Amino acid sequence: MNKKPNHIQPTLSAGAFPSVQGMWKQYQSDAAQSLLPTGAPYVDERLRGGITQAGLHEFFGGAKADSHAAAAFALLLAWRLPESDAGIFWISGDKERQTSGRLYPYGLSAMGGDPARMLLVQTADLRDALRAAADAIRSKAASAVILETHGNARLVDLTSTRRLALAAAETGVLALLVRGDAVPMPSAARTRWRICSAPSAPLPGNAPGLPTFDISLLRHRGGAAPFAARVTWDHATRSFFDAPLSGGLSAIVTDTKTGPESRQRA
Amino acid sequence: MVEKQRGAMRLAACDPAAHALGLTPGMALADARARVPDLAVFDHDPVADLNLLGWFADGCERYTPACMLDPPQGLLLDITGCEHVFGDAARLAKDVQARFSRHGLSCRIALGGTPDSAQAKARYAARAISDVPVEALDGGDKVHKALRRAGLRSIGDLAVRPRKPLAARFGQAVVVRLARLLEEEDPRITPRRSLPTIHVTQNFAEPISRTNDVLATIEMLAGGAALQLQERGQGGRRFEIRLFRSDGHVARLAVDTGTPTRDAALLMRLIRERIDALSDPLDPGFGYDLIRLEVPLAEVLANVQVGLETKIDTGAAAAALIDRLSVRLGAERVRQFHARQSHIPERAALERVAQSDVAKADWPKADWPKPVPGEPAMRPFRLFETPQPIEVTAGFPEGEPRSFRWRRHVHRVTRVEGPERISPEWWRHARGYAPGNGSLTRDYYRVEDNEGRRFWLFRRGLYDEIERPLWYLHGIFA
Repeated sequence: MNKKPNHIQPTLSAGAFPSVQGMWKQYQSDAAQSLLPTGAPYVDERLRGGITQAGLHEFFGGAKADSHAAAAFALLLAWRLPESDAGIFWISGDKERQTSGRLYPYGLSAMGGDPARMLLVQTADLRDALRAAADAIRSKAASAVILETHGNARLVDLTSTRRLALAAAETGVLALLVRGDAVPMPSAARTRWRICSAPSAPLPGNAPGLPTFDISLLRHRGGAAPFAARVTWDHATRSFFDAPLSGGLSAIVTDTKTGPESRQRA
Repeated sequence: MVEKQRGAMRLAACDPAAHALGLTPGMALADARARVPDLAVFDHDPVADLNLLGWFADGCERYTPACMLDPPQGLLLDITGCEHVFGDAARLAKDVQARFSRHGLSCRIALGGTPDSAQAKARYAARAISDVPVEALDGGDKVHKALRRAGLRSIGDLAVRPRKPLAARFGQAVVVRLARLLEEEDPRITPRRSLPTIHVTQNFAEPISRTNDVLATIEMLAGGAALQLQERGQGGRRFEIRLFRSDGHVARLAVDTGTPTRDAALLMRLIRERIDALSDPLDPGFGYDLIRLEVPLAEVLANVQVGLETKIDTGAAAAALIDRLSVRLGAERVRQFHARQSHIPERAALERVAQSDVAKADWPKADWPKPVPGEPAMRPFRLFETPQPIEVTAGFPEGEPRSFRWRRHVHRVTRVEGPERISPEWWRHARGYAPGNGSLTRDYYRVEDNEGRRFWLFRRGLYDEIERPLWYLHGIFA
């Protein structure tokens, strides 16, 4: 992985032309750094364009009950990918399905997704799930692979995440790892996020509004600084937008009481 | 071997040594013990006998696909057209004999023009059918006794007699059986398993046991099968591999594919997955001396010209991946969404096996609702298979929830929308619609708690339907 972010122009030292190999590397690193914007201007600016499409990204739930928010956020990110024939693989174990329920296609389509593109893989345990995820990422059949795990699992370690990250970098598949009810451990993911659900802008009659999340970037391999923001998903445009906070301030979460920090695990 | 017959322990079978001591099946155990005090006795287990016979029959499929059990002790093989592989029928019989004796089993082999004649000759150890006793007619004790009284002791004696009086005296069945014994009428045997039209077999002079050798052989066979499939313009949907072990055991491996294929490389990947996923690994024992690949299920697959510009075919890649995961995890673990006509939320959406027999075009087109701009999703993105019971505090009995407790956590409701009333499908009930009959009306609420989590709750039953309706959490919104 090229550590230098946004390395667009080849650097020409005086009198030396870049070698073909160098250009090829340049081209490759650009291709590998094809970015997926979230659609929310503030977030994309902090991410310098978006998250790397050909890479592994981790999503932790803020509190135990926020694992659903992490799953939803990962799923919505996958829908940001341009339409293609390639499917979106949702891989989870028996345990995850029991604790978190199953995906419900009517809800998915109401959020702007196409349930026909979803392929569900349910494995008996995490070992099978990791293997299935690696296979799905390696094949050209998937545009995104989402692996959902629940609880602190020793199997999801540096080695196994690196395997997924390398495969994703090779094939350009967006690999998303949802980690409900777990504490961050070293991993090879390009970005690590903490996702909490956030109060929505109410509709008339005080009805719950559009899906809103408090997201905070915990770690970025490209060097972007950690930040927190509140975003709302708009299913009509299939993109996030910066959720307005009361008072029309910036999207930075300043209210520590409702902010994600307050829900951080001990 | 002993067995309880008519209230007494009797011998069911005995080995040659016991025979030599004068013991015969049918003898009471007490009598046998009196004659041979140190008699070793075991319980007779007919099921195990039959299983063993089935095992032998599997092993005999190396000679011919048409193999039939003849309980309690016989096997019938139809070797029509199969002898030339071994030279002639006698050499084939010799090979069978050698194989059985290698395991310390004795067997009696007879060749006959009809299954009945071969069976009778083997059973009564006769060289010619005319020497076989009349008991081979299977006509029952009465018939056999009557024939013997008339001085007719063997089939040979009967053969020269006119048939009509025989039929008049003993019935048509005896005459039919006689004709079959005398090879005048040839019934076909019903094989245990019919051999598919496409199969390739590899024989080995010496058994092979290394997994790599086995895989290499299967690959070669897969290439052969692919050629046959190509000639027919077909692709296999199911492939079966039979590994014949030299000790008679036959291991089976079956691989299913979602779309017809004749790609040997793809097939090999699936087979490797299959072997890896076996709960008890392949045990080559003394090695395999015959491997057969069969294609029991094939479908039309047009020949395609592969273009020079190779575009990645995501459809084919997806099919390959689905096959691979289905083989490893089990087909029922790789699924796709499928809609069903129902307004009960959990009944409306099913999941079906992605690797399905039904062609994808035949699936009912799902009519998933399109999102309404500005409106949030009215259905959760996650649904609990069984609704989760919750404790709810509501403002008034029919009112909306104020707070609820789920998984030991109290959620204070800040925003709420509802109710959305969903009636039960009363037409599913025998007594039709009646208040409080079977299913209850559900009142669904979309709620958001003080921490911004959005849930889908319902109250099961109206207050005029049941005394105390209970609340459940059914789904979770993004």
